[in-house]
Amino acid sequence: MRRIAIYGKGGIGKSTVSANVTAAMADMGLTVMQVGCDPKSDSTKLLAKGGRKETVLNYLRDNGTVDLDGVITRGYGGSLCVECGGPKPGTGCAGRGIIAAFEALEDHDVIGEHSPDVILYDVLGDVVCGGFAMPIRNGYARDVFIVTSGEMMALYAASNIAEAVDNYAADGYARLGGIILNARDVESEDEIVAKAAAEMGTGVVMRIDRDPIVQECENRGVTVVEGAPDSRQAGLYRKLAERILELSEDSEGGMRGT
Amino acid sequence: MRDTIHPRPNPIIAALYTVRDLEVDVAVIHGPAGCGFMASRMIEDAGVRVVTTSMRDSDLIFGASEPLISTLRKVKEKFDPKTVAVIGSCASMIIGEDMEAAIGRADISCNVFPIDCHGCMGDNTRGAIRAMEAAAKAGIVPREEAERQKSLFKAATRMEKDVGMASRDYLKPAKGATKHGIAKRIIKALKNGKKVAVVMVGKKELAYRFADIFLAVEEARSKLGGETLYVGNLNPDLGLPRIRRYAKDILAELGEAGISPKISGGLDEYPLCGAKSKELVDEFGPDLLVVAGIPHAYPELSPDNVLITDQPRQLANYLDSGLGLAVGEISSHALVMNVRSIVPLETGDTIREMLAEAG
Repeated sequence: MRRIAIYGKGGIGKSTVSANVTAAMADMGLTVMQVGCDPKSDSTKLLAKGGRKETVLNYLRDNGTVDLDGVITRGYGGSLCVECGGPKPGTGCAGRGIIAAFEALEDHDVIGEHSPDVILYDVLGDVVCGGFAMPIRNGYARDVFIVTSGEMMALYAASNIAEAVDNYAADGYARLGGIILNARDVESEDEIVAKAAAEMGTGVVMRIDRDPIVQECENRGVTVVEGAPDSRQAGLYRKLAERILELSEDSEGGMRGT
Repeated sequence: MRDTIHPRPNPIIAALYTVRDLEVDVAVIHGPAGCGFMASRMIEDAGVRVVTTSMRDSDLIFGASEPLISTLRKVKEKFDPKTVAVIGSCASMIIGEDMEAAIGRADISCNVFPIDCHGCMGDNTRGAIRAMEAAAKAGIVPREEAERQKSLFKAATRMEKDVGMASRDYLKPAKGATKHGIAKRIIKALKNGKKVAVVMVGKKELAYRFADIFLAVEEARSKLGGETLYVGNLNPDLGLPRIRRYAKDILAELGEAGISPKISGGLDEYPLCGAKSKELVDEFGPDLLVVAGIPHAYPELSPDNVLITDQPRQLANYLDSGLGLAVGEISSHALVMNVRSIVPLETGDTIREMLAEAG
């Protein structure tokens, strides 16, 4: 199983990239479990559409335990869609929520039950606390990809995430797989991002161009891979999925590796 | 502070004891069910209802204002209190609970006030100070008295860091000597017509136990002779009403035994009354000095002083410092949580037994 985490500044397009990568991998015949790690719970909406089930944390709160069938939605191409969920803005502790949700999934042997080929964590914004760093420590994710544009704030967040990955790498946890450039058509964007990636000790995995087809498909509630499979953009996502598979490690074991 | 690694009292418990002193009817600990349970059981014995909001993992994640609101409503229904203190804990404060807003939303018709404290504040007295400030704001204690209390808490912390348990990084609880040698020493001095000074530095309710040393020594003096001086911080006109009541109870009982001790301060002035005690003792010029309660509050202790403490770690501290005539009256605190009269000390009973044996 490949253990992949997608990080990046809020609003940069992580969930769109994640969902399209998941859809592209599903088209290759892989079983992908996409785990949304954001209280907004919108990571898998393009995959599972209207049929989404309860979030892990809501289920846990209301029932005291988790039933995998109650929280896993079968989405596009047989993908397994999970949302951790979390508190309303301004209350509780979303970071603690990520920790509790992962524990619950692991306790119920989600990997043994569903044997995914890829588990893909889509993690909110910045690594603000220990909870949101969960995917990159304790062995959950092995390969971390950071989505960024050439905008200053997105690069700043990317640099923070790279630093967090680096901190945990010494413990034998995750490693940085590279930067995914989600283009915003900033001037000299390729050069700026390539330079920033080099400073983080990594490189640009791929550039995903800006294309109105993304918004169009999003409005219809589908990924580009599903909604416009013959478009150039869908081809980019398929290429990105291939690159991520090339760059990530396939290893045995449960959620936290062996 | 961080240099001290043995278990230390914590700010949440200090806040809890403070609301007991303030005679608040109910304390609600906004935290997990087991938070502070050992102390809570003792405080319940002292007549304060102590409950928790029984926080669970999902409350950490989603916020815990609902459990606080429902707990407050249940408290109102079950106990119909006049005053309720809501005390923060590590769990609720780390996630940034707004206790004041939840109290407002619970909307129960009594005086409910929040104490913003948790376990990671450093000195335990910071919890007591927060409690005192919150109580003053809620109109439960006059501002002037609250300020006096705050300065006493600060003095207590200074004393603990200078010479008490917080002055050492680790103290292993000591058992110490039996009370036999100590009792023998006191009896021998009186029998030989010597002068014995007995000082109590009592910390609040613990005075109900340590005051027994006055009764026991006076019994010995009346049988054997010798000369005695009794000094205690039993001023009945200082401090919170509850603490004054302790002093009144104890003075009345000592009075019945024909003892009227010289007064070194109030029962809440234990960190400050050492100097005054020493002044009175020096004037008397004793052959033997006995200090009970918080002996290290007494300045310049010497190895031939008899020291009586209730803390096994404090006992270790004394013995390590070469103060060899120290004994421990272990578990005293649990014995005095719900009493209105003096509880015999083991040391006191040993003196009495030896007197009875001597006929």
